[in-house]
Amino acid sequence: MKKFLSIFLSLALMLSLCSFAHADDLPTITIMFHGSNVSDDKAVLEAVNEYIADKVGAKLEVVWGTWGDFDEKAVNALVTGDSDVDMVFTCSWSSDEYNSFAKQGYFLKLDDLMEQYGADLKAAIPESLMQAATIEGADGKGIYAVNGFKDTATQNTWDVNVTLLQELGYTLDDVKNLGFYGFGEIFAKAKEVKGDSFYPFLIEPMVLERMVTNSIIIAGDAGSTNLLSYYLNPEDVSAEGAYGNKILNKFATPEYKAFAEKVHEYYEAGYINPALAVAETSNDTRANAQKTADYLIGTQSYAYGYEYSAEVLARGAEVSFVPCTDAYVDTTASQGAMMAISSASEHPEESFKFLVLLNSDPYLMTLMNYGVEGVHYTRNADGLIEFNADARASYSPWTNGMGNVTILPDTAAEGAGFREAFKAYYAGAKGIPCLGFVFDNTDVANEMAALGNVAAQYALALDCGAVDPATELPLFLDALEAAGMQTYLDAANAQLEAYLAK
Amino acid sequence: MTTAAAGTGKKRHAALNQFGPGTQAGFHIVLGIFALLCIIPFVFVIIISFTSEDSIRQIGYSFAPLEWSTEAYTYTFKLGDQLWRSYLNSFLITIVGTSLAVAITVLYAYPLYRKDYRFRGFFNFLSFFTMIFGGGLVPTFVICKSVLGLSDNYAALIVPALFSPFSVIIMRTFFQTTVPGELIEAATIDGSGEYSTLIRIVLPIVTPGIATITLLYAIGFWNEWFLSLLYINKNMDIIPLQYLLMRMQRNADFLAKNSSMLGADASRAAMTLPSQSLKMALVVFIVLPIACAYPFFQRFVVAGLTVGSVKG
Repeated sequence: MKKFLSIFLSLALMLSLCSFAHADDLPTITIMFHGSNVSDDKAVLEAVNEYIADKVGAKLEVVWGTWGDFDEKAVNALVTGDSDVDMVFTCSWSSDEYNSFAKQGYFLKLDDLMEQYGADLKAAIPESLMQAATIEGADGKGIYAVNGFKDTATQNTWDVNVTLLQELGYTLDDVKNLGFYGFGEIFAKAKEVKGDSFYPFLIEPMVLERMVTNSIIIAGDAGSTNLLSYYLNPEDVSAEGAYGNKILNKFATPEYKAFAEKVHEYYEAGYINPALAVAETSNDTRANAQKTADYLIGTQSYAYGYEYSAEVLARGAEVSFVPCTDAYVDTTASQGAMMAISSASEHPEESFKFLVLLNSDPYLMTLMNYGVEGVHYTRNADGLIEFNADARASYSPWTNGMGNVTILPDTAAEGAGFREAFKAYYAGAKGIPCLGFVFDNTDVANEMAALGNVAAQYALALDCGAVDPATELPLFLDALEAAGMQTYLDAANAQLEAYLAK
Repeated sequence: MTTAAAGTGKKRHAALNQFGPGTQAGFHIVLGIFALLCIIPFVFVIIISFTSEDSIRQIGYSFAPLEWSTEAYTYTFKLGDQLWRSYLNSFLITIVGTSLAVAITVLYAYPLYRKDYRFRGFFNFLSFFTMIFGGGLVPTFVICKSVLGLSDNYAALIVPALFSPFSVIIMRTFFQTTVPGELIEAATIDGSGEYSTLIRIVLPIVTPGIATITLLYAIGFWNEWFLSLLYINKNMDIIPLQYLLMRMQRNADFLAKNSSMLGADASRAAMTLPSQSLKMALVVFIVLPIACAYPFFQRFVVAGLTVGSVKG
């Protein structure tokens, strides 16, 4: 027995020595991304670490969070004060929601670091985005995350299958002029020509509702099923809308009623695939119909240049995106992808320096995003990026989640001058009147949970037209009322008034 | 109907303790239906894994697809390294984890069964308590990661699942019901030491119990993916197959839930998701080994029903 024990102890000793053996001079900083599809990062990290050794004075390690994993991993790391994670993705819609996590003290206030090392960052990121990141946090008003420069405005568009549209004898102008309430005749024609099993209207129900009623997502509202509406002025997004600066119960307005009635009419006429009304199947159904261009008109929350992206080009039909309003900047979009430094980080300075470099240095951004030149991509004669599909399959981070995408080089698919046009497009986007407002739902969290459950039961079916609003909508409104809608709504409006008064 | 059938059975002088043919047929039908209910979903999964993507797109899942295809499997084999490594990891984690867990459980349960062990009550309570009250996710995570250093290594996938109070209780009860105290006394009188009593006398009697908890642990380790989600951040070389599959599923779920927030990015990401048939092919990979293990363990479990050590 003693022999065993002594062998065991000496083994344990050796192991513990081993763990001290590979200490390095440079500290290691770790960044956690969202939405990655990366299985082999060795070549990239090698190049990155060589490049940043002097500039940042640290070694980089990456946690490639995936869509499904990130929320759990990030919240875990932040809440447990895990010092192994220095930088973490945050935004207005992830579980480590920017405003609430900053308020609870999980993110480091960056103003001092910004003063000291942030000159390059300030030059690279528009002032409006710095403003959008300036919030009331645990250490007072300030910047708690580096805001990425991406498609920072929202624009909902009709995704039109032009090939089919022309076949039916209509033009894009018809789509623009007829609008949602007039699509009936085109759909009827499509049904007539393409047969009964064809569903012309390929919708993302929640997006469709916002498009048609010109309402926006209020940051801080209940997660996947929004309860609150703020109505825009479709003619001029920076001017006040029909109800002024007021937040309304999304489902109680005449706009919503009219929308629900029309969409129900379309559903009953067989223009909408019933699979879209079921949360579990709706995404697959939509993706499949898009892949084969098996639709006439769809809904798409648009990002500049989306029509040139590989997946749209691969649909096998000419696709055009017809906007419903101008692109507008709202809180949700302007806090759409940010990078915060965890307050548990032991190397905040190095981390910040790295974030500055990532957002201002095209070489580093390209390396992190597109990979190593010659391995993951090559440049063609015009200097445009052409991806090596095989290598790219094992290294595809989420571009928009990384930071300043405007310093990336243009790809062959996008064409020369794309990034410049992209920048100009979003620089020209106007802010909505309540830009910057975030609903702090902590006081009404119970109501929100109850309301979210009620909405999950009714909203999708109504937005998709699968149920008759004449009978279901009153039931829904009663259930919302019973779950405390008025309290929730009053809290939101009181906060909005206080915000606008400042 | 069954009584009539049983009556005819008697007329034919059926063997003692046997049901009549009608009753037996009835049982066979009921159990057959039950067996089918268990097998059909798996057969369905296999069929889907061999269905072409076009067919799924057109008519959805079906027992009679429009077109067959081995595309999913060719793609799986192209996943190459990652797939086989994960597969190997699954086996490694299951084998090492189960062996250790069974050893620990048996060694913990045995003293709890011995009436002459003084701290029996305390250790009984210690394990039982954790069955009812857990520390919660955050404290567990902090202990495992910061105190025990369980992160990005195989130990992180094994150690947290090594001890299950439920299995300890099963094992302890099994000791109590199958190993009479007199047997231990007899062994002691014959000069057997504690280790020899346990290994040479007690363990052979409780093999069915050990087989049961081995099966429980093995399934637990084989299906485990949450530990990988929690503790594996950078070293993706060591994730098991189950996690690889769960990740695909969770990605799809997340994108479905958040597509209205993510806009174009969600549509873009949805296009890169693996196909339905690929997911089902992975399910086949995951289910096969553990399904093969069942009959092997079943032998012991059935044997356990008639076990005994003292002739009465």
